[in-house]
Amino acid sequence: MSLLRLAWRNVLRQKRRTALLSLVVVYVTVAVLFMFGFLDGYGESLVEAYAEYVEAPVVVAREVWWQDPDPENGFRELPAVAHPLVQAATPRLSLYALLRSPYRMQGGVVLGVDPQGEKVLSRVPFRVGEGRWLQGPGEVVLGHRLAERLDVRVGERLVVETGKEALGLLVVGLVRSGVGNVDFGGVYLHLEDARKLSGGRVGATYLALKVPRGKEEGVAKALNQVLPEGLRAKAVWELMGPIRADYEGSRLFYVPLLGLFMLLAAVAVVSTTYVSVRERLREFAVAESLGLSPARLAGQVALEAALASGLGLLAGLLLGYALLGYTSTHDVFGPLMRLSVELLPEAGLSEHLYTSSRPIYALYASLLVAVSALLALLFPGRLVLRLDPSRYVKGE
Amino acid sequence: MGRMAFTVLLLAALALAQSPLEKLKLALDRLRGPAHEGIYLLQVERPGSVRTYRLKVYTDGRRAHLRVLEPRSEAGQAFLSLGEDLYLYDPRLGRTLRLPPTGRGERFLGSDLTYQDLVGRDLEELFQVAEVQGVLVLSPKPGAPTPYGKVEVYLKEGLIERILFYDQRNQAVRELGLSAYQRLDGAYLPREMALRDLQRPGYRTFLRILEVQVGPVPEGCFNPLYLERGC
Repeated sequence: MSLLRLAWRNVLRQKRRTALLSLVVVYVTVAVLFMFGFLDGYGESLVEAYAEYVEAPVVVAREVWWQDPDPENGFRELPAVAHPLVQAATPRLSLYALLRSPYRMQGGVVLGVDPQGEKVLSRVPFRVGEGRWLQGPGEVVLGHRLAERLDVRVGERLVVETGKEALGLLVVGLVRSGVGNVDFGGVYLHLEDARKLSGGRVGATYLALKVPRGKEEGVAKALNQVLPEGLRAKAVWELMGPIRADYEGSRLFYVPLLGLFMLLAAVAVVSTTYVSVRERLREFAVAESLGLSPARLAGQVALEAALASGLGLLAGLLLGYALLGYTSTHDVFGPLMRLSVELLPEAGLSEHLYTSSRPIYALYASLLVAVSALLALLFPGRLVLRLDPSRYVKGE
Repeated sequence: MGRMAFTVLLLAALALAQSPLEKLKLALDRLRGPAHEGIYLLQVERPGSVRTYRLKVYTDGRRAHLRVLEPRSEAGQAFLSLGEDLYLYDPRLGRTLRLPPTGRGERFLGSDLTYQDLVGRDLEELFQVAEVQGVLVLSPKPGAPTPYGKVEVYLKEGLIERILFYDQRNQAVRELGLSAYQRLDGAYLPREMALRDLQRPGYRTFLRILEVQVGPVPEGCFNPLYLERGC
């Protein structure tokens, strides 16, 4: 305890030096917290966009359809899927089609859905900004940005054509979901119409399942063990496509970068401690001659480094969590995300991004204190261990 | 004299008795001319540029085989329309491709004309017809796969003179004019066709028949296998 008091007194002796040193730690701590919060928030936003809007929490389809998403590879008859965590299931039929208005023509993926079943599974039906959600065959609901591109409005007819069939469908609603894929490319029509467009032989291309958040992987894995041969379940994380690689790449890039940041901050702490120890070698020699062991003195040096960086850590945690608290409740990144959605409309990005705030970030950031103390033991601590007290006491 | 007047009156009465749909059908029947082969000139105008194609055309009035002769860079491309089915031969690919029925709405050689304008009968199949002050007014049948809200067909002596396509906001978007009809072998053939994109000023396409030779066309011309080597 006396060692701690001694270390604390030494930390306070050079207030300006300690403050500057703590500032470095504050900066790195805030950076660590914010980066982890941002990355996790980005990941959660992607999972939510894909699970609730673009795809589904879990999707069951035939193996051949996963390899070649042609409607011909869909289900003739829907399979029975049983798992205690599956809260709802709805069939969907996705197919490539040409969309034609009097002014423009554009290719895209149209999704045949059961209007009622979709309400249980997806948030899209509740994001119809103009008009209404599908009620029956002969209708189509579009993403509002796609409708702008095609120059088609609610109440007008849109021609949907495939290589096999063509239908003139009435636009009954425009979706404003804030998710790029839906707003820029969403085309929702009744399952019956999609069956006609596909040639009428396919019932659905896949079965979308609703499962509790966080259980997607487990349910997909469990289903894959009981599903008949030729069927495969995929969880939302697997359905994300290229944006998943982007997210994982970001983590791979930022996590080592933060590690490097922390190491540099620890080096800054230790170099300051080193200077401080060099200035006080005579003092250490006296303490050693009075009976304190070199190991305890080295421990005191490590403690000083830990205390100095601990102060910075505390302030950094307060500041970092305050920042995360604000950005996890306020859409600060909205303008940036809207720009990203414009640039990458088919990436499944959401126009809103809220950071995540988890206690574990504090543990990551506190690694800096541990590294600082360890380095202090290794370098300035070694100075103390090699100290020859008689030389210093004599004043040589 | 009295008998002749009676015949004329009878014909007039019959003509008057024709329903709008019958008038449209008759006009469409008269649109493609008799079986013939000919050289067509296709001129695609865009703001600041004009592209001209010479085409060799074989048609029996229902089916059509078109080959690009000029410009040299695009020569050899061939198209075959057999009602619902469309085939395209591209010499750069060295292959004949079958286009889906949706291809009928696609633009021909990047012009403003679609395959449907050239050889189709969508006007009869997708629309219900009424007559308003001598103009055939076509409105889409429920669920019909047409993006247009209305089409007006202007006839002159039973021949189509002008077709005006409207969007669903009652605004004219395309205008197809047909002129210089020539009576050939008992059928009619418009020797000039002009299409204007009313939404985009300066976007126009003209099709003129330079040479025409009436007579039966070899059946091979309507076989996709002959698209590559010609007929």
